Amino acid sequence: MTAVWRPWRGEGSVGSPMVFFAAWLCGGLLLAFILLPLIQLFAAQTAGTMLQVAGQADVRAALALSVTASLLTALIAGAFGVPLAYLLARVNFPGKNAVAAIVDVPLTVPHTVAGIALLMVFGRRGILGEPFENFLGLRFWGTIAGIVVAMLFVSVPYTVNAARIAFEAVDPRIEMVARTLGMGPLRALFRVTVPLAWRGIATGLTLTFARSISEFGAVVILVYYPMTAPVQIYEMFLRYGLEKASAAAALLLLVSLVLFILFRYLAYGRRPIAGSGR
Amino acid sequence: MNALTLADVSLKLGTFTLGEISLVLPAHEILVVVGPNGAGKSVLLETIAGFHRSARGRILIGDRDVTGLPPERRRVGFLVQNFGLFPHLNIAQNIAVAAEANRSADEGPDVSALLARFGIAHLADASPLVLSPGEKQRAALARAEASHPDLFLLDEPFAALDVQARDDLRLELSRFLRETRAPALFVTHDRADVAALGDRVAIMCDGKILQCGAASEVFRRPVSRAVAGILGIENILAGDIEGAEQHRVRVIVAGHALEAEAGDRAQAGTGVHVAIRAEAIRLAPRDRVPVIAAENRLAANVVTLQCLGALTKVTLECGFRLVACLMTRDADELRLAPGAPVVALIPATDVHVLVL
Repeated sequence: MTAVWRPWRGEGSVGSPMVFFAAWLCGGLLLAFILLPLIQLFAAQTAGTMLQVAGQADVRAALALSVTASLLTALIAGAFGVPLAYLLARVNFPGKNAVAAIVDVPLTVPHTVAGIALLMVFGRRGILGEPFENFLGLRFWGTIAGIVVAMLFVSVPYTVNAARIAFEAVDPRIEMVARTLGMGPLRALFRVTVPLAWRGIATGLTLTFARSISEFGAVVILVYYPMTAPVQIYEMFLRYGLEKASAAAALLLLVSLVLFILFRYLAYGRRPIAGSGR
Repeated sequence: MNALTLADVSLKLGTFTLGEISLVLPAHEILVVVGPNGAGKSVLLETIAGFHRSARGRILIGDRDVTGLPPERRRVGFLVQNFGLFPHLNIAQNIAVAAEANRSADEGPDVSALLARFGIAHLADASPLVLSPGEKQRAALARAEASHPDLFLLDEPFAALDVQARDDLRLELSRFLRETRAPALFVTHDRADVAALGDRVAIMCDGKILQCGAASEVFRRPVSRAVAGILGIENILAGDIEGAEQHRVRVIVAGHALEAEAGDRAQAGTGVHVAIRAEAIRLAPRDRVPVIAAENRLAANVVTLQCLGALTKVTLECGFRLVACLMTRDADELRLAPGAPVVALIPATDVHVLVL
């Protein structure tokens, strides 16, 4: 007698073939919905157009600008967001829920709205934009600084939230043990807490990067030139039509995917020791 | 010189208050702190380790006043549930980070020597996650030793373990502490830990220490009903003192007179409780009462029998309910069964009057 394939049975399984197949039907449709446009985007390309578009200086500059600005955004999100995440995870203070809610606000603000609001603060006559130019010589219009500001606003919640969850998962008593072993608060933080939370922090940074490189709405309002890749693609679509735009789009998708996979590998693939040791 | 001195330490933590704790741990001794969940045992340990600034009082480890020192300068070995090894480091690195943090002018502690001393040299490269509880305990002790602790603080390190592992680890821990003559404060809600580990025991409840003393003394003579309850003394009976003689009092419990050991404040006419440990009660057949010194002889009937392996718990009815605990072998010899008539023999010295 041959073994019959019944994946709905056994340990950790759903138990019923009906539930199993119904769930896979829904899930499969969803996966197809996600993958089909992306596959079609690549399938429609001819090597010639791809190479020609990839050779264009403006496309390459836009791609480089997108990657650079997104990396900078992730770095800044890490520098400011991770300490906030640690506070939210470890310290109880009045108004903590309000702070957590404020962190989530950018997720609900339409990105064009975010762009306009940011323009009023960081624009030429904005309440920060003007003094920054006058006293520091830092301009947020027509510069990468403006792009980073737009990207940071829409993508920083991912870093704060992921890092907060990661810090919450580190047993406070393990930090206590580190202290009694003779480590000062900073040494305990950097030798024990941060390494244990690192995977979550890295996930947050990766999500922030991914969200940044894909941002269009806020960036296009705050900084049209120099063009990031999404803005460049939009412009090419308006000027030259679908064929050229889709080639550039495929290129951006390729770059984003490669970097996303690389970061995930760096965060997850390297360390063989798993778990928080509860 | 005492290993640890707490003088009137008190502290407020949210709604919890640790109330004026005064405690002395003589050098080389192990004090077991017992109490129900929420008694404040962990807060007490964390306060000694330096994680809560005490509002009042002083804490001395040896002759060092550590009241104002941060945890990293108090030199305590802190063992927590599951031992708190750093899961992102291997065992050698776990010890090395502790050694590194304590490296002063003199040569720091040698990691490989510590690994060898605790018999875990073969686990140097292993992740803490794959270790058995016993290996974890040894690694945690080795790591603590790297920071030269003057005092060990153990916060229910066995709480998550099964009974067998708990017994083994308790034995090993007790051997380590006695061999190194390291003073230790061991917090637990498991009474088995008291008997196995403690020279001294402190009973804690609601942020206060109710009684502290030699383990045998506290078990025999709990000061109050609350202490007797926390110690799990099976029979705590309400009664009235009828007559007090030199060393004896007579307590009337549900109309039956019990000869009891005299407490200091026992006076005739006062309502009290008496505590009788289940193992202090001997049972005999009605027709063959042995000639032993037991002032209290109560005619009783067996209500229920509960076999717990080597021991059997017998519930008796003798005008009031009594729980006795005897060897299962003896219970078999007595042919105990529900309804069986017996005599319960209790020496007056095992009937302890609780005035409070």
